[in-house]
Amino acid sequence: MNGQNRRYALCFALLTAGLLVLAALNLTTGSSRLSVSEVLAALGPGQSGSAAAGVVRQIRLPRLAAAALLGGALSVSGFLLQSFFANPIAGPFVLGVSSGAKLMVALCMIFCLSRGLAISSAGMIAAAFCGALLAMGFVLLASARLRGMGMLIVCGVMVGYICSAVTEIAVAFADDANIVNLHHWSQGSFSGIGWDDLAAAALTVAAALACSLLLAKPMDACRLGEGYARSMGVNIRRYRTALILTSSVLSACVTAFAGPVSFVGIAVPQLMKRLFKSAKPLLMIPACFLGGGVFCLFCDLLARILFAPTELSISSVTAVFGAPVVIRVLLSRRREAEE
Amino acid sequence: MSGTILETQALSVGYGGRAVAKGIDLRLEAGQILCLIGPNGAGKSTLLKTLMRRLPAVEGSIRLNGRELGAIPERELARTCAAVLTGRPAPELMRCGEIVALGRYPYTGRLGLLTAEDRAVAESCMDMTGTGALRDEDFTRLSDGQRQRVLLARALCQQPKLLLLDEPISFLDIRHKLDFLLLLRELADRQKLAVVLSMHELELAKKIPDRILCLKNGQVDREGRPDEIFTGDYIRRLFDVDERSYERVCGGDAPF
Repeated sequence: MNGQNRRYALCFALLTAGLLVLAALNLTTGSSRLSVSEVLAALGPGQSGSAAAGVVRQIRLPRLAAAALLGGALSVSGFLLQSFFANPIAGPFVLGVSSGAKLMVALCMIFCLSRGLAISSAGMIAAAFCGALLAMGFVLLASARLRGMGMLIVCGVMVGYICSAVTEIAVAFADDANIVNLHHWSQGSFSGIGWDDLAAAALTVAAALACSLLLAKPMDACRLGEGYARSMGVNIRRYRTALILTSSVLSACVTAFAGPVSFVGIAVPQLMKRLFKSAKPLLMIPACFLGGGVFCLFCDLLARILFAPTELSISSVTAVFGAPVVIRVLLSRRREAEE
Repeated sequence: MSGTILETQALSVGYGGRAVAKGIDLRLEAGQILCLIGPNGAGKSTLLKTLMRRLPAVEGSIRLNGRELGAIPERELARTCAAVLTGRPAPELMRCGEIVALGRYPYTGRLGLLTAEDRAVAESCMDMTGTGALRDEDFTRLSDGQRQRVLLARALCQQPKLLLLDEPISFLDIRHKLDFLLLLRELADRQKLAVVLSMHELELAKKIPDRILCLKNGQVDREGRPDEIFTGDYIRRLFDVDERSYERVCGGDAPF
């Protein structure tokens, strides 16, 4: 094994260890502190009646699984978008894709709830996917006319604001009973996601992740630019379509269940590139998935315990850690351009 | 003849159905170098893009290795024809070894994993271009001369029969221009590569190419061996160079 591969293996081991430690912390801390042995006992068979088992199995475990799974999905989605736009600060949140998904989900929920219909997990994902594609369509149309990474982001942020505003208006007109739920969700949170929703999310994310891995090869070729990629036999149109659809599925899935979560999609891929000292897509996709899980477990833990019993919205925590990464990327770009 | 790699007949190239250059009849054998010269905007890049199949031909036919260009599947095309483009790619965190190995794209599987054979080919391409020592260097930190060699190694890694280069020596200093052209000549001779390149350095086009194609005002102005092209004041007429302006800048008679 040469030095490079050893570094990669070490990085993956580090991320996995981080994931396990944070998972343990997430299981033990909270309004009722549990020791590791209590958690293990609660997870064991024959304990389903106890209070600890209820907390661990029905509240903490699904929440931590959601944070790890959806955080990973969001990071991979961000990495795909960054490759697509050749723009290091592209991501589902800043491009308005998350907000588009949020809008559609909110509209669907209001519509269904006001008629007393229950909306299924798959229905939520489908609605979010439509919203994500709609917002993506706007950004793509704009990107055909815009030059420079700054303008693209500004355009995406505007799309995001429009979608958020419409969502707020729709929520304001919704029935009283729905508002509490909707409002909580539209701020972004990993809480209250049940096992059924998680299973649907896991299936969707797994499929999208497999697609991303199959896209790793053309993504690698596109790092030299579209011209070179085509000269090596990449079917650019098919590749770009697949990339956009995959990334939209991933961010739609996150938004459907956790609402919009900011900055994970930008920050994690940047952090992983620096950790691995490589940007090879085949390496970055699993790294971003793991890293996104670690990042979101960490942020969710802080959101829960920092001002307990008041809970912070997940986006306010991810923004505190994610936004500085974006600023650093912009500053280092600037330096390179001046050199 | 089986040695013919590239053949065009009554080819018109351009954008959106409008021809930029017309009546291009080419025939290139294995081991030959064709040089495209002509004023800016004469259609050199457009012709190269059409040969790469990035643009559809407006009219006429292109045959690559005996087959109609449009009928060749993408993967096979990439195994037959490789390119060095204008512009300077700036990939993030990419080592030169990775870039060269990317040339194995049309040979690797779905995930793009390299086999031992792929690595060996990449290795020999780096040897041929003298870039072996740059393997672990970050591409964006190289000099322009080194970058062009790495990009050439990447193209060779596709193991093509035809190499297309769009102004490959424009950014280089004179020593690297000479080195690069000599390297191309060597590759053409030894690997039996057919090479098409465009360039503006006329004084360097006298001995290296086997054929020269002059484009001007939307058509082929002249085609032939260098000694057939560099006659009298032809080059001056091709580029509409005013003799007095040349003298005022260079203080002597134009060398062509």
